[in-house]
Amino acid sequence: MMAKRGSGAFAGALVLCLALAACGSTKDAGSTASSGAVDGTGKTLDVLMGANTVFPTQQKQWFGDISAKFKAQTGATVNFETFSSANDELTKIQTSVLSGQGPDIYALGTTFTPTAYATGAFVTLSADDWTKIGGRDKFLPATLGISGPDKSHEVGIPFASRPFVMAYNTDLLKAAGIDKPADSWDALRDQAKKMTGNGVYGLAIGYADSFDPWKFIWAMSIQAGNPLVNGKKAQLDDPTVRTAYQTYLGWEATDKIVDPASVGWKNAQAIAAFGAGKAAYLPMVSASSKVSLDKSSVAGKYAYALMPTIPPGATSTASGGKAATSILSGDNLVVAKYTKNKDLTLALVKLLTSPDQQDIYYKTFGELPTTVAEAKIVSADPVLAPIVDSASKSVGTPFSGAWSQVQLALVNVVVQSVPNLSSGKVDDNALEGLIKSAQSTAQAALDKAK
Amino acid sequence: MTRTNRKGGPAQRPLWMLAPGGVLMLVVIVVPLLVALYISLLDLDQYTFREWVQAPFIGIDNYIEAVSKSDLVHGVLVSVGYATLVTVVILPVGVAAALATQDRFAGRAVVRSVFLIPYVLPAFVVGTVWRIILQPDGVGNGLLGHLGIHPGLWLNGPLSFWALVIVQTWTAWPLVYLLTLAGLQGIDPTMYEAAALDGAGWWAKLRYVVFPFLRGPLALALLVSFLHNLNNFTLPFVLFGVPAPHDVEVLPVLTYVESFQNFRFGLSTAMAVLSLILVAIPLSAYLRAVRLNTDESA
Repeated sequence: MMAKRGSGAFAGALVLCLALAACGSTKDAGSTASSGAVDGTGKTLDVLMGANTVFPTQQKQWFGDISAKFKAQTGATVNFETFSSANDELTKIQTSVLSGQGPDIYALGTTFTPTAYATGAFVTLSADDWTKIGGRDKFLPATLGISGPDKSHEVGIPFASRPFVMAYNTDLLKAAGIDKPADSWDALRDQAKKMTGNGVYGLAIGYADSFDPWKFIWAMSIQAGNPLVNGKKAQLDDPTVRTAYQTYLGWEATDKIVDPASVGWKNAQAIAAFGAGKAAYLPMVSASSKVSLDKSSVAGKYAYALMPTIPPGATSTASGGKAATSILSGDNLVVAKYTKNKDLTLALVKLLTSPDQQDIYYKTFGELPTTVAEAKIVSADPVLAPIVDSASKSVGTPFSGAWSQVQLALVNVVVQSVPNLSSGKVDDNALEGLIKSAQSTAQAALDKAK
Repeated sequence: MTRTNRKGGPAQRPLWMLAPGGVLMLVVIVVPLLVALYISLLDLDQYTFREWVQAPFIGIDNYIEAVSKSDLVHGVLVSVGYATLVTVVILPVGVAAALATQDRFAGRAVVRSVFLIPYVLPAFVVGTVWRIILQPDGVGNGLLGHLGIHPGLWLNGPLSFWALVIVQTWTAWPLVYLLTLAGLQGIDPTMYEAAALDGAGWWAKLRYVVFPFLRGPLALALLVSFLHNLNNFTLPFVLFGVPAPHDVEVLPVLTYVESFQNFRFGLSTAMAVLSLILVAIPLSAYLRAVRLNTDESA
């Protein structure tokens, strides 16, 4: 009986496996035109993008427009899928990569590009591929900084740029007699001190954000000459990193220039506090903050400026340091290796990065173009000038498959330091211990990097 | 099953009719479990997962790393500690609520429905609402401030553990309440009458009539809620985010971070297998107890 049951189960499993295999191979293999205009009649491309929560209706409209335009060009249909969070995105990538089917194109955050590259699941662009999307030269050189480990191994095609800047309350700065925003972290602290009082704080910081903290630590460190990762070596135990943490955490613990409640804030809460006129500076925001701020009580009373580029404790950028205003931030398009319609996919990328579409995308969503021609036009707008400026002064984070782990280790130091901040000082011993453990986590991750 | 067969069931039962259920169990439980066990023996990460079958086989290295190098042991302690605390606290609360709503009174249906609200709310909603309440300048600290209490940070530091216990208690007690209520329905009213005739007071009735009937449902309620607390991912994830503060680094969140932030799928699966073993301990104790009961009653 056991044997009978066993064989029944085996037969069942076999049927199921065959059924699954059949499902797996239903995707249209189709034929791809290898020369001339791409004919995509009857074919469908899938594109995965982040859901735009600020402009959901416009995004839907844009999807429709692109699809219609591409159909007119090639005869192919474009299906857009959205993900609502980084986790969502990752799950989709993992299942698609494992099963070898899924979206043909993914729009990935720039800092996730090295991890995507490490999976080996995306097309490394050849000279011919670049030609098919309109040439590598059409992109701003700075936006290509995180497309691959080197020029000949690039997977990411720059699609949108979201460099970080800081917003400042023009009224508060004027009232304090400050004529221009600080260009060093020390001056920023001093100016913030001057403007703290009567329920207003110098800075609005989201200490509990899952991403913001590492960007501050990275910026201050690279400005002091430490890119945090050098080849396969983690450099988190360098004094520059300790100084960066002391500065960042010191704003809350010793300088008292941030709202004490900000230890529980995410980035959105920091934007809300600045929007309520309760903070003079709002560092580490992108152009997308403009939408919220223009509807807030500081509408018309704020401006953007570059974030400080002179590291803490210094009066000029350190020798070997980089005057990075922001991480290289935005979206890259990557093409899945498993796509059955590579040429058609590249034709769609060409459309998405064409001057017209870059212009429409910028005007609809406020995200900066990545092409040389469009960037020139946008920089003529005085409100956006500092943001465009920041785009050209952005520096890419280390191109390593282990970067996500390094990032997490950097944020972890802040998370575990927060409870001690109420004591009125940054506990050096505790900080030292946390940095040491972050260093070993980061090094272990880099040791495994391939 | 074999025993029943021998005792006198027809020799040729149409066991093939169990096949659909068997196949379903195979596909839904056995196959994924076996795949998970296999993955836990691989060095599967972002560099190898595209061709995961060819990922290097590293034996029990992931298990060794999980126990010796990761925060797994700490995670287990936090998880078991908070799950036990919550389970102990919700027991009297749930039983008291069920007893209080057992007798008819005006508005009983409304009260019973209100009691279920914390339980039917999705964990994500519960987490988000409590995250707002427990902000440093949130409603929670505001109310306590009026009473002259200034607890400080709830969502990080030592108090975060208690925040997790409080919120999980708030959301978990209605399960005990529900199962107690079910148990109470099973008590024959004549039992109360007989006890009353014997001159039993409320405590004697509770102790000798009600509680013995509740033993089964309560044991189940405690087990289910303990396991649920132990496996709870959504609530701590929404309340505290990742990386989690050290005091609330529970096992499911730790496993999640290894997989979806650090991309150490092999290591993370080893952690998941270990947590399965952890969950199996109380479960097997319960099943054993239930089987003993059945044997006795048979």
